[in-house]
Amino acid sequence: MKIAVKYCGGCNPTYRREEIEEVLKKHFQIFYSGDSELLVCISGCKKGCAGEKAKGNFLHFDEKTDEEEILRRVNKKLSKEI
Amino acid sequence: MMTGKEYIESLRKYKPRIYFMGRRIESVADDPISAPHVNAAAMTYELAHDPRYEEVMTAISHLTGEKINRFNHIHQSTEDLVKKVRMIRVLGQKTGSCFQRCVGCDAMNAIYITSYNIDKKYGTNYHERVREYIKFVQKNDLMPAGAMTDVKGDRSKRPSQQADKDMYVRVVEKREDGIVVRGAKAHITGVINSHEIIAMPTRALEVDDKDYAVAFAVPVDAEGVTMIFGRQTNDLRRLDGDMDCGNAKYATVGGEALVIFDDVFVPWERVFMCGEYDFAGELVEVFATFHRQNYGACKVGVADVLIGATANVAEMQGIAKASHVVDKITEMIHLAETCWCCTLACSYEGYKTPSGAYMPNPLLANVTKLNITRFPYEWSRIAQDITGGIVITLPSEKDYKNPETKQLIEKYIKGVAETPTEQRMRMIRLVENLSIGAELPESMHGAGSPQAQKIMIARRGNLEMKKELAKVIAGIKEDEHFKKMRGVSEKEFFAKLK
Ligand SMILES: Cc1cc2nc3c(=O)[nH]c(=O)nc-3n(C[C@H](O)[C@H](O)[C@H](O)COP(=O)(O)OP(=O)(O)OC[C@H]3O[C@@H](n4cnc5c(N)ncnc54)[C@H](O)[C@@H]3O)c2cc1C
Ligand code: SF4
Repeated sequence: MKIAVKYCGGCNPTYRREEIEEVLKKHFQIFYSGDSELLVCISGCKKGCAGEKAKGNFLHFDEKTDEEEILRRVNKKLSKEI
Repeated sequence: MMTGKEYIESLRKYKPRIYFMGRRIESVADDPISAPHVNAAAMTYELAHDPRYEEVMTAISHLTGEKINRFNHIHQSTEDLVKKVRMIRVLGQKTGSCFQRCVGCDAMNAIYITSYNIDKKYGTNYHERVREYIKFVQKNDLMPAGAMTDVKGDRSKRPSQQADKDMYVRVVEKREDGIVVRGAKAHITGVINSHEIIAMPTRALEVDDKDYAVAFAVPVDAEGVTMIFGRQTNDLRRLDGDMDCGNAKYATVGGEALVIFDDVFVPWERVFMCGEYDFAGELVEVFATFHRQNYGACKVGVADVLIGATANVAEMQGIAKASHVVDKITEMIHLAETCWCCTLACSYEGYKTPSGAYMPNPLLANVTKLNITRFPYEWSRIAQDITGGIVITLPSEKDYKNPETKQLIEKYIKGVAETPTEQRMRMIRLVENLSIGAELPESMHGAGSPQAQKIMIARRGNLEMKKELAKVIAGIKEDEHFKKMRGVSEKEFFAKLK
């Protein structure tokens, strides 16, 4: 399962954005290219810059989210794709 | 959409119970105390019909597809948020006052966003009711007042802990057809010349405060609603002609009233929250974000008038070219435009909520308003400095019009030879109106006292992230990028330099 991560610019994040990626890394292999089954966009605030131009199969996080919820959302997306 | 004239006419159809200085105000449109506030609100209707302002003053309703006044619009993009503040600044410039209609606009947007979230959690149908209500407001181009601030009694206690349980508006009875509410809302802008009142809770609530978690709308003349119109500094000058007020046409600040709900019946279709105490805090935050966004626009529009008035006075008194005056007027512009930057920033940084409506960035909206609790004091100080002591000692219009004293005033109140004395007097009065009196405390407390913004800024400022940044720069925590750039760790890098 290929999961790609895309960050916003991080000018004034309301939480530590890396936490989302850290959870993903624990459970999946992460890529930083467009060649993936799921793109996870990580924005620092509700403005949601990371998700603005996202297309295709993607997920967007814009606030602190616990591990369970991150996994629930990723798995839901991936199972839909299959 | 109503024109200004049609709006004024529409008010004559309502019969709200309003008291002022021991008497009833029978017709807000015609009473000399309330008429200038009515004129200011009428400008929000009138400009919507002027092609020069149409782009900012109107919008297309996402509910009906019809063209509507932007004050009744639910913002559908960040562009809408930006247009809203552009509209508000223009109206500040055109009235030099508060035109009152934004509170209702903010209330509608806030309940639109929050009702959606409540329904999602509890399966209620508030959002549909809100949509229907907003359609009704849009179709009839009504002006709802936004009533959030409760009278609050003992500020250290929550609503349910108060000695008198009516210190916050609450539900006293639930019926098959609706609810009955009791309590009072304080300082409600433009309510006496509105068509409707939208009431919302004023603070975050806990489970014992359930009865206070209530949001609803009623017409201004609903049975049991009484309004007591507040006094303002120099308000009775309105009875003395058109010079001493400084802004006789549009008055100053919005005109606020204490609104008492004495067992007012609200049908269910106008109830937008009833008992969901866990959403009261969210509703307050969303409303406050919208309202704090405005202050960097309306106060800046009014500042544009004050800066103009101060520059005119400087010319009329022969000091316009003095370097300190040029510098001080530039400082006024700088302060005003700084606030404008803030309001634009929070609008451009706005975002889509789950309801589909957009809201401004809360951190930046709070920064905007906190600056407004400070900068207007500074630009007013400069205006008073440049105008001179006459800003509070100018003779009255009555003495100016009295044949026995007119010539003396004409001669001794004159500034530069080219300016007629009356023009100088009018300009000084305008500076007085805009820099002394109700305008300043409004900047302080309207949309929340400074501490309310500080709390929000502290909560959203992400101090932990800033502490981490400092630790990296100070060399306490590893700098991942430094290592990549230099190919060695910081420790190794600096060891080599020794
Ligand atoms: C001109 C004007 C127009 C307004 N228009 C509207 C309107 O249209 N609609 C509306 O809903 N409201 C309106 N308001 C109300 C405005 O939001 C309030 O004035 C503001 O929230 C402050 O509340 P307050 O005036 O009751 O002051 P208070 O709450 O009494 O505040 C006075 C001081 O007490 C402090 N304080 C209060 N509570 C506590 C506490 N628990 N602990 C510690 N310190 C505390 C405050 O920080 C402040 O320094 C308007 C106000 C003004 C002045
Ligand atoms: S003070 Fe400003 S934001 Fe408040 S109602 Fe008046 S114009 Fe609107």
